[in-house]
Amino acid sequence: MRRGSTGGTGALLVLPALLLLGALTLYPVAYGIWISFFSKHSFFPEQEFVGIANYLAVAADDEFWRSLRLGLVYSLTTIALQLVLGVGAALLLHEAFPGRGLVRAIVIFPYVIPTVVAVVIWKWLLNNQFGLVNYALETAGAIDEPISWMGREWIMVSLILVSVWQFFPFVVLAVLARLQTIPPELYEAAKVDGANALRRFLHVTLPQLASVLFVVVLLRSIWMFTKFDTPWLMILGGGAETYIRTLPIYTYQRTFAWYEAGRGSTMAVLMFLMLVAAAALYFHLWRREERL
Amino acid sequence: MRRAALACGVAALLFFAAFPFAWMITTAFKPSNEIFVSPPVFFPRTYTLDNLAHLFQQTRFATYLANSVLVASSTVLLTLAVAVPGAYGLTRFRFRGRETISATILFTYMFAPIMIIIPFYVLMRALELVNTHFGLVLAYTAFCLPFALWLLRTFFQSIPLELEEAAMTDGASRAQTVLRVLLPLALPGVVATGTFTFILAWNDYIFARVLLSADELKTLPVGIADLYNASVVDWGMIMSAGMLVLIPVLVVFLVVQRYLVAGWGAGGIKG
Repeated sequence: MRRGSTGGTGALLVLPALLLLGALTLYPVAYGIWISFFSKHSFFPEQEFVGIANYLAVAADDEFWRSLRLGLVYSLTTIALQLVLGVGAALLLHEAFPGRGLVRAIVIFPYVIPTVVAVVIWKWLLNNQFGLVNYALETAGAIDEPISWMGREWIMVSLILVSVWQFFPFVVLAVLARLQTIPPELYEAAKVDGANALRRFLHVTLPQLASVLFVVVLLRSIWMFTKFDTPWLMILGGGAETYIRTLPIYTYQRTFAWYEAGRGSTMAVLMFLMLVAAAALYFHLWRREERL
Repeated sequence: MRRAALACGVAALLFFAAFPFAWMITTAFKPSNEIFVSPPVFFPRTYTLDNLAHLFQQTRFATYLANSVLVASSTVLLTLAVAVPGAYGLTRFRFRGRETISATILFTYMFAPIMIIIPFYVLMRALELVNTHFGLVLAYTAFCLPFALWLLRTFFQSIPLELEEAAMTDGASRAQTVLRVLLPLALPGVVATGTFTFILAWNDYIFARVLLSADELKTLPVGIADLYNASVVDWGMIMSAGMLVLIPVLVVFLVVQRYLVAGWGAGGIKG
């Protein structure tokens, strides 16, 4: 079986996958850019070319900037918390103790469940009247009267809590996998040199984790910045909507509640461009860091 | 000292990850006078199956369940049918544009649903595939395909070419080589890929919410979201719904969790 002898067959085998990706992912993205220049109803076929009017309208829309700010608060906070909790948990789960395999599986499990289940469980735990969290806080004397977790003052905190609980296992998985490949000799050498646990973490573990953390931060940033279902489901059934209306939520509402597909696409395109710009900057900073 | 600190850390972590599930399960078996009570009780004084019964009698949970099973398993079949030959072609042949294709696949992996859902919806509407399970299966396949191809490609690359070359030297045809040599070795990778695809399709909310409006077509995540959107929220019923939805997830998770912990496939579930 010489490679290259039947290249045509190879291309033919890849063709169905490429056609599907092209028709169902790449084409829609290109089409989304196209309709961002149109005034277009979400349901009816009528459309009218408006040039960059949608972009100007979005730039002048206070709610857009507000949703962008809320989205940044949400994504940056959850990413930071996921990283700290995820790396900490991975270090713990890397230690040897009885039942480690089972504990690892349990800690990872929240990441693979449907978001709707994560949200309903936490909405019930955080229920202001019968919720366990308020009860525990009151019993401990931390609060005098129940907190309205879905109210405007606390809903962002609740959303962050649910999101961190559901998504930190991704960091655990990635870091745990990398920890298993660090050669033990490195730690032994550091011990011989008299490095304590903290120094070993800072000078051996952390540099070894740098490359995996780079990828983790990139993926988590993309997925948290574009996260739709967790905040959306938090709003359903009575949540202070406007206080967690992040950019994906607002984009969705513009399209499927205001029926402005053109305007919605404009925001989706801008979301995409912001991610590309942030990723480019991130790669640039990383490279410069590497050279130092 | 060190052992005690480790034990405390692990206990806290375990509590944080697992307690919400425990609370869901005990709530699912409580009668409503023990659910809506203060102070709350952890273990029900009387266990009841009323919540589960109500779920099937008062809602269309059974329909949603059937829809979810149908859509998720169709997605797995379609994705594997396209991705396995694709990954084989990408790893066992050399042709023009091969590297470009691999780069494109990685690029599409980064797309989030909200970035493609609007044009996708307009497109599906034009093709009259809105409100069909077929349209939803197509959406999930497109969404799962980049990762499925990437994972299978990595897996196929790790299988030494010499084994297949030896079989073909011995006179086996290419089809025989694939069926008798490559696929048995690649089976764990194919199973893991299928499992990740299943979880993505089973868990999805946004595509199903946007593409389906007929109640009899809805899948479980949308059906459950509609349950707690009601004016009076029946927490016992919702917790039992959540519990039932998690059973298949738990089963397939047990199949793949060792791959997950071993490292590859951590990105298998986008979220």
